[in-house]
Amino acid sequence: MIEALADKRLLIVTGKGGVGKTTVAAALAIDGARRGLRTLVCEVNTRERIAPLLGKPEAGAEVTSIEENLWAVDVKPEPALREYALMVLKFESIYSAVFENRLVRYFLRFIPSLQELVLLGKILYHLKEKRPDGSFRFDRVVIDAPATGHAITFFSVPQVIIDTVPPGAMATDAAWMRDLLVDTATTAVVLVSLPEELPVNETLELHRTLTEKVKLTAAAVVLNGFIPHRFGDDDRAAPLSPALADVLRAHEARAALSATSARSLSTLGLPVIEVPRLFVDEFGRGAIEQIAALLGKAGRP
Amino acid sequence: MTTPLREAMGNADVLITVGSGGVGKTTVAATLALRAAMEGQASMVCTIDPARRLANALGLEALGNKEAKIPDEAFARAGLLPRAAMHAMMLDMKRSWDDLVERRAPPDKREKILSNRFYQALSTALAGSQEYIAMEKMWELHEQRRYPLLVVDTPPTAHALDFLDAPNRILDFLDNDAAKWLLTPALAAGKFGLKLFNLGGSYVAKTLSRFTGTETLQQLADFMLNITSLTESFRERAHQVRGLLQSPSTAFVLVTAPMPERLDEAVYFHTLLQQNKMRVAAVVVNRVHASVPALLWDEVARLSGPLQRKLELTLAENDRLARQDAKGIERLRELCAPTPLVLVPRFELDVHDLRAVWETSRYLWGDTAVVPPVR
Repeated sequence: MIEALADKRLLIVTGKGGVGKTTVAAALAIDGARRGLRTLVCEVNTRERIAPLLGKPEAGAEVTSIEENLWAVDVKPEPALREYALMVLKFESIYSAVFENRLVRYFLRFIPSLQELVLLGKILYHLKEKRPDGSFRFDRVVIDAPATGHAITFFSVPQVIIDTVPPGAMATDAAWMRDLLVDTATTAVVLVSLPEELPVNETLELHRTLTEKVKLTAAAVVLNGFIPHRFGDDDRAAPLSPALADVLRAHEARAALSATSARSLSTLGLPVIEVPRLFVDEFGRGAIEQIAALLGKAGRP
Repeated sequence: MTTPLREAMGNADVLITVGSGGVGKTTVAATLALRAAMEGQASMVCTIDPARRLANALGLEALGNKEAKIPDEAFARAGLLPRAAMHAMMLDMKRSWDDLVERRAPPDKREKILSNRFYQALSTALAGSQEYIAMEKMWELHEQRRYPLLVVDTPPTAHALDFLDAPNRILDFLDNDAAKWLLTPALAAGKFGLKLFNLGGSYVAKTLSRFTGTETLQQLADFMLNITSLTESFRERAHQVRGLLQSPSTAFVLVTAPMPERLDEAVYFHTLLQQNKMRVAAVVVNRVHASVPALLWDEVARLSGPLQRKLELTLAENDRLARQDAKGIERLRELCAPTPLVLVPRFELDVHDLRAVWETSRYLWGDTAVVPPVR
């Protein structure tokens, strides 16, 4: 396990759209489960991908066991709101009378940040959830978080509510949620990037915003699609046709970009884990396993 | 010779780029605007993507809520001489909403709306509000008729779906049974500070306030009351925007990359646009890997030693990517028929300056074409 993540109970995986957040979240979850950590991996109100990527049926909006030590859920606003309301209200009949009232449902849509709050609330509730013997139900929760801009909004919600919503259940819940998120002993952000200029710049900017504005602490960067150098000076000097020389040069140009990207990201002072680009026909379980093994080894002496 | 996007730019005065995140949608939007300017058609590209990618690609320091002309020096540096001006802007949601309220709300309501916490939510966070204001801006720019070609970039698909529906959603927010039920007595009485949920029974209000606090509900009611003054103008605009989206002079450009997970989203979106009677000019398949020519395999076969092994590995990797892309392209062609596909090759470097944007435009415009990879 990446050392900086080893003792964290909540891993938040985020980055620019299309950089492979879901893959990394799935790999971290597999790696945790393999180590015997009861792991819950959460997707946030999206088209569910993790369970299918692992070759399992969709988990849906309920926490579902996927395999040994691994559970998955795709948190959705409506069921999450229902669970949350039931927890506060205790009685199903009150919930139905109030929350299933068409007019009330309509208003709920416009309570600022309520949707994000219940989504995040459900995830963090599972982080706190205990078994009868007093141990945590899940040793670790991995969030496949929304992309850059939406991640910032999403994780800012507890603080926004604390600042703006008058006392009530929402404000109280927002407070413990904020405390968990900013607790560096519990929570770590994993930033995912690609070895290209724009994704790298966006990662640097995202790190700044998460640290300064949202007060989340990043612990590692995963650089996906890394291309290592392959050809040396001798190879370059070999007499090749222009087209073949181009193939060699193109590979080395991509490798150089990978190296530059890793260097830029290393300015964050966090471990940068290079995940090599995988050349597979079907990106599924096999690929995720490879990445999980790699993340499992990363950072070890 | 005519090509799908050349034709679209000739016929349309609004082009809207849509697609998932990370496929180069913003670059395609900038490219279309640049090409138009180069061809002598003044253009404007408006992005609502929260990330600041467009400024990057255009060599501008930053883009603001105001329209900015791409400076001549930036073109000169890229060795380009446009025949018409190119403009760009990035939509600032909050500012645009404020402008809208200031323009449209009755003077006595403006401050009340702007200072309400629910307005803050509406203008920054409410699902669909970003898309609505983008539509509003598109309409405004279109009405000004200052730019013969308007290119509008949209947020990634999860949100771009809201895009089509945004005007209706905002209307739904303002014009719905619940709102009427709540507001009618107060409107009739012509005063503020209505007693919330008077009619619905205090039981409901009390239960809800356990979550939100009573004050929150009261503020929501006040907000609804004030914003109702805008309902008519929203309704009118929603209708007009819908008309503009479906107009023959508006075309959508769907941008995707040939990876499986992006393809499904593209196909889904294509279907949705068609169901909504919106015209898709082309599906742009970005970052296509070319097939490895047989000649290269032959050449490598004649080599020996580690170099041969390394080149073989490289060709095999390239070949695998090209085959995957070929499979994806075939699927897209089939599922999006008869919409034409326009292929853009994978460039060795990110498209991040005007010169690279120009190179991309050669493929979009059809000066040069990608040889489709084969399976």
